[in-house]
Amino acid sequence: MTTVDRWQLPDGVEEVLPRQARVVEHLRRELLDLYHQWGYQLVIPPLIEFTESLLIGLGRDLDLLTFKMTDQLSGRTLGIRADITPQVARIDAHSLAEPGVTRLCYAGSTLHTRPKSLLASRSPIQLGAELYGDDSLAGDVEIIRLMLATLNAAGVAEVTLDLGHVGVYEAVLAAANVTPEQEADVFDALQRKSRPDLLLALTDIAAPAAELILGLLELHGDAAVLETARRLLTKAAPEALTAVAALETVATAIARSHPGTTVYFDLAELRGYHYHTGMVFAAYAPGHGQALANGGRYNDVGKVFGRARPATGFATDLKALMALVPISLSAPGAVSAPDSDDPALLAAVTALRKGGEVVIRCVGKSPDPRCDRMLVKADDEWVLRPLKP
Amino acid sequence: MAQPLTMALTKGRILQETLPLLARAGIEPLEDIHSSRKLIFATTREDIQLVVIRGTDVPTYVRHGAADIGVVGKDILLEHGAEGLYEPLDLGIARCRLMTAGPVGWSASGARVRVATKFVNIARRHFAAQGVHADVIKLYGAMELAPMMNLADLIVDIVDTGNTLRANGMEPLDEIAHISSRLIVNKASMRARYRVVQDLIERLAAAAGDN
Repeated sequence: MTTVDRWQLPDGVEEVLPRQARVVEHLRRELLDLYHQWGYQLVIPPLIEFTESLLIGLGRDLDLLTFKMTDQLSGRTLGIRADITPQVARIDAHSLAEPGVTRLCYAGSTLHTRPKSLLASRSPIQLGAELYGDDSLAGDVEIIRLMLATLNAAGVAEVTLDLGHVGVYEAVLAAANVTPEQEADVFDALQRKSRPDLLLALTDIAAPAAELILGLLELHGDAAVLETARRLLTKAAPEALTAVAALETVATAIARSHPGTTVYFDLAELRGYHYHTGMVFAAYAPGHGQALANGGRYNDVGKVFGRARPATGFATDLKALMALVPISLSAPGAVSAPDSDDPALLAAVTALRKGGEVVIRCVGKSPDPRCDRMLVKADDEWVLRPLKP
Repeated sequence: MAQPLTMALTKGRILQETLPLLARAGIEPLEDIHSSRKLIFATTREDIQLVVIRGTDVPTYVRHGAADIGVVGKDILLEHGAEGLYEPLDLGIARCRLMTAGPVGWSASGARVRVATKFVNIARRHFAAQGVHADVIKLYGAMELAPMMNLADLIVDIVDTGNTLRANGMEPLDEIAHISSRLIVNKASMRARYRVVQDLIERLAAAAGDN
């Protein structure tokens, strides 16, 4: 290895330098304070865990995303967390095991074996909140409001809120009575909203069922799609109507608290279909192809830990948020202090720092370039004087 | 006015067949795309602009949101994957077939088969589904030459008329997929600009239906 490539970091792994790091940390603190104010308690799960607890219920995608190694102490397989949600679910189900509603939040680095999307980081800083022990729509509404508050605090101005419900596809699939092989093709085509591929996947399926599934393609857009959905589903898949009603209730509640937010319904949204059990939601910003934050209901996730709990939550990536909204924190100039151990000077420095000033001792020949004032001794007292550039 | 909707078109034969389709949907470039050296073109609809790029680049532009909408061959989508994209419409243009082909009279002689193609992922999937172990060799052009020079046993390529195959002593074997051009849409654009995008999809669907 030559010095030329020694500095190189792995693809999708980045360091955050001072200017950005200050913003990321500022945002992290601000958001965790926000969650605290909403009653969400912070937990700090470990970086690694046994894969048996780390890879629960959240599907094969997570398995592929997780770096694994053997634990030299126990011989069991360890995973470096690719998602913090299962860890928090374990904490709620087993470590805390409190009856009633538990609200938890977290922020931490995760690691992905491969980028989730083109140019995505392999080491995102995941930040999120989870609400356990309540199966009502009020829980989903609270989590969605917290997700919108998160983006608002991060300075994302124009947010489109995406609402879906896995109950629609579930009911349609049950009514259509398709084989697992056919379902795989239908799922794939629906995910891409590909009419031609869906038609191909439906060739061996009887007309009424095929028409019902094709109808799902149209069920995205503004609030009008809820009516379209009712027309399509009332006779053919009445179980889906509960999900449609749930979407309407949640959308109405969000419109009341966030009248300016555009809501986009997608009743055939299949993101996380294999582990979500109810509402799914995401927040998009214009010009950004990936969701900025997403979440949904995933009931019974704690079952493997001995306690099936209703759960809903959301997560976002701090680094992605920061890349989208370049906040610049204005840095007021710092104070330079001479390198002296005069007790009066030390007291003056401590007092200034306590007051929120940045005080940098001058250890070299010239003061740190960030300084615009300096401490000087005048009449036995340390006073601030402007520093000439 | 809001930022215009950007549509990425695939250069070459697909472009020639896309332009009449766009014209029928009421979208025409303000200058001649074929003779201009520009990369971005305004259209008769001031809320839509066109960029003309290589087919393999179209999904990349649309996935990243550099373009909102794209026109690209299904072969590219099959080879490079269509995750993160919506693919609502088959435009029915630039039709051809993706096929395996081999020297006339060729039959498998061993457990493995050497395949030359530029569609390495499609080829690997196709032969795996047939239970055949394929050693895939990536080439960028003139696939027919590979079996003649004993570089490969079979090829996987786009077949239009089959004339090139026959002229080189080869014949088409299995059909892997019917190919035509698809309309692809960025997921965020579909949400943020739902009305414009949906209207465009409907116009293009109608125009494609006239084909």
